[in-house]
Amino acid sequence: MSDLPPKRSLKRWLVTTNHKDVGILYLTTSLVFLLLGGILALIFRAHLWESGGTGLLSGNEFNQSVTTHGLVMVFWFLSPIATGFANYLVPLQIGAKDLAFPRLNALSYWLYLFSGVLLFISFFQGGSWSGGWTIYAPLNVPMYTPGAVIEASVGGTMAIIALMMFVISITMGTINFLTTIHRQRAEGLGLWNMPLFTWSWLLTVWMMLFAFAALFAALIMLTIDRVMLTQYFATDQGSGLLWAHLFWFFGHPEVYIVFFPALGIMFETFQTFCGRRLVGRKWVIISMILVAVQSFLVWMHHMFLTTINLEVKTLFMATTIGISLPFDLMVFALIYTMVKGRVRFTTPFLFSLGALVLFILGGITGVFLGAVVLDYEFRGTYWVVAHFHYVMVSGVTALVGGLYYWWPKISGRMYHEFTGKLHFAAYFIGFNLLYFPMFLTWETPRRVFHYSGGDLIWHQMATIGAFVFGFSFLIMFANFAWSLIWGPKAPDNPWKYSRTAEWAIPSPPPLDNWPGRPSYASGTLEFVEETSAHPAGAATDGGTAATDGGTATVDATVSESTGASGDEHAHEGEHADHASIWPFMIGLGTFIMFLGMSGMTGVVVELMSDQIAAHLGTEDVSSNVNADQILGFADMNYVYLTFFLGGIGFLSYSLFMFGKEQFNAPEMEVAERWPFEGVGNTKFGVWVFLASDVIVFGAVIGAYLFMRIWAGWFTFEPIPDYTWAGLLNTYILLTSSFTVILALVMAERSNKKGLMACLGATIMLGLAFMAVKAWEWGGKFAQGDYWFSGLEYSLYYVTTGLHALHVIFGLLVGGFMLYRIYTIDAYLEDERPVEFFGLYWHFVDIVWVILFPLFYLM
Amino acid sequence: MTSVKTYTIIYVILLALGTGKFLFFTFDFGYATAMGGTMLLAVIKSLLIAGYYQHLVDEPRSISYMMLVAVFMVFLLVIAAGYSIQ
Repeated sequence: MSDLPPKRSLKRWLVTTNHKDVGILYLTTSLVFLLLGGILALIFRAHLWESGGTGLLSGNEFNQSVTTHGLVMVFWFLSPIATGFANYLVPLQIGAKDLAFPRLNALSYWLYLFSGVLLFISFFQGGSWSGGWTIYAPLNVPMYTPGAVIEASVGGTMAIIALMMFVISITMGTINFLTTIHRQRAEGLGLWNMPLFTWSWLLTVWMMLFAFAALFAALIMLTIDRVMLTQYFATDQGSGLLWAHLFWFFGHPEVYIVFFPALGIMFETFQTFCGRRLVGRKWVIISMILVAVQSFLVWMHHMFLTTINLEVKTLFMATTIGISLPFDLMVFALIYTMVKGRVRFTTPFLFSLGALVLFILGGITGVFLGAVVLDYEFRGTYWVVAHFHYVMVSGVTALVGGLYYWWPKISGRMYHEFTGKLHFAAYFIGFNLLYFPMFLTWETPRRVFHYSGGDLIWHQMATIGAFVFGFSFLIMFANFAWSLIWGPKAPDNPWKYSRTAEWAIPSPPPLDNWPGRPSYASGTLEFVEETSAHPAGAATDGGTAATDGGTATVDATVSESTGASGDEHAHEGEHADHASIWPFMIGLGTFIMFLGMSGMTGVVVELMSDQIAAHLGTEDVSSNVNADQILGFADMNYVYLTFFLGGIGFLSYSLFMFGKEQFNAPEMEVAERWPFEGVGNTKFGVWVFLASDVIVFGAVIGAYLFMRIWAGWFTFEPIPDYTWAGLLNTYILLTSSFTVILALVMAERSNKKGLMACLGATIMLGLAFMAVKAWEWGGKFAQGDYWFSGLEYSLYYVTTGLHALHVIFGLLVGGFMLYRIYTIDAYLEDERPVEFFGLYWHFVDIVWVILFPLFYLM
Repeated sequence: MTSVKTYTIIYVILLALGTGKFLFFTFDFGYATAMGGTMLLAVIKSLLIAGYYQHLVDEPRSISYMMLVAVFMVFLLVIAAGYSIQ
């Protein structure tokens, strides 16, 4: 399925897996979400025109607008627009033909798009999530939001599920980019010489890998709380702190996750438009690495007003202020690059410079919040809103600069320079008019429209600024629309001093990127004729782009190369596929399944109503839980149930077809791979996935430990009645690990019967594990102990249930592999998939090795 | 790649260590000893599975370091969060 329809056909965009197409999809979709998030902001800013609100929105609608604006901008606009740039540019900058896993890349996009659609559907399910973008506990569970909001619980659940789906998309993207950047760099392109945008993106995806996994764990627990009525975030036993720890362990790195790509764009544009290599380039990279590491050491500065102890607050104050130091170095590097170079004030540079100014202001005001004592004063006020937006929109500003910078490369046409500058003027004035007054109204509580009358003038200025700022984007869209229709054709490299590799090929680049194989072996970019006899043959017509910006001469960047099609591959059978419909179908299936899941609370309550009523009748029930409220959910909604089950069916079929499809994404034969040489792309991808799963499981197990420490360690008793059942399951899983490793041995020996026997035994053992588990749970249910019976029960059922779900996924994959061996003699010549499956299965085994003592013995 | 013989030896050791964890809590060692002992056995089992069944001993060290960073992140979160409520 390798033929790719033309760009004017809709089908092209549904089936494409090419990194540049997916990049364009990401960029355009994120800009649509920018508009939607912006409209929400304009609506609530208009509501704020008068103290107490103009009446444009009800209180709940105001909360929904503010919340959804925050969620959309942080998750569905800022991260994805950067992902769009990365998709388009990272392979070009490192000399790869595509990402390591093109279909997974397309799948990331579809999950992202559909997750955004789910978020906006939530408005039509009785109202979206209204509790703030931080989703703080205990307001994030239905029983704590009584009255009118309880009707909105389906929409609220949908927003949470949409976020969970978005995180799944991010995780896939992370695995893909880590594999690509670490294993697909052109010959001679060492990490130190990578272009700075790619550097910033590499660190972004490393942060994403660990940070989003923690958020994923938190969202799993929250979704189960909302759908199944477990009690992670519903108690007064540390629930609020548990959420805050998990959320901010993600949320703080997230600030740098959204800012780093913007920083990378600033570095690139400063180099290009100052005509000078970045001052202190090596130290800038070291600083970025430091910030990426430190970003995980500061999360509790978001929790200074909670009951965490003073020692830990002091420690986190120090780490927070410490993180500003490497940023100082980066800021000074940018300033000195301007001082030492000759600045050309083009539109992309103006936006990058504007971003630097805003970032300095945002950074300085952030130091106030990093100090415990000042934070006591500023927390929860418009100071935070202003600081936060100065930092985040600083990133947006640089990203807009990136849009102008790479527009000629992506569209093949030039934009209108004067209109671009006009956009910047309106943008910069509008932004400062919007947010600077908020520093002055720092006594106004955030998320509240009843502000002091004395602040009226500042709020009205902000509202005017918001409309100017919003309007400025229309100038940008008009400019781009003009460019597409009437704009002059862009040369390969419209910028004099840009030197990264994407400028050495035509605008827009051909489908397969390069005429031959890119190589930096000689120190500059060359395109090597690919012949199997002489892989490092003579250079052809490549440009002389250095690996990154420098003191280039004016004519050093022009490339004469013309687009060559991928058909020129010398290696037979290495023709890359570009089209597959299954990523779209999997996205659609997941969409339908999650759509159904959002309304499953009513189904669960109705099915379990007798048990819930019996449980609520006991004196163990927290006084915060009201039986009427819970049972008020009872509503067997067959539409949701149908969507849920139908979605699972459709998803399973799509995954099956995805697995069966022949799809060839050739691995680069000659590439720089430090420090991950010696493992294949797929195996490395599996390991990266497992690293993220370590965090997911670790956070869920950590939640158990945290709650147990809160409760006093010895107040918890093991929930299962029989320790031997857990021990039996330990033996079963260990044996299944043994059989799966024997399956690998059989595959290596091309022994079909042996392979089928060993894999079959693994599946039987997995089923036996599930049977013991079902028996154990059945026994507990018979005693009236359910997942909603108390916090300890929630912890036990969800943690072991998540493990069981992993076993089920493993069984499905194992069953699929068995089918493939039986039908097409799979894995007998190439045993690697069996090994990859084993890596996953052994990991699930390791988790059980930890779970068994924690839940059955201690 | 390691031989079937090695895999089998590891399997037997894993079964023994699994039983060991159980024994710690069946006979009276005191809670702290039993807890420390079981967790130690769990770590040894995990390392054996990761090292030999997942072939980490044969893979580039960088893979092990990546997994160690992930485990470190979990410890960082759990220990710091646990300490914050002391």
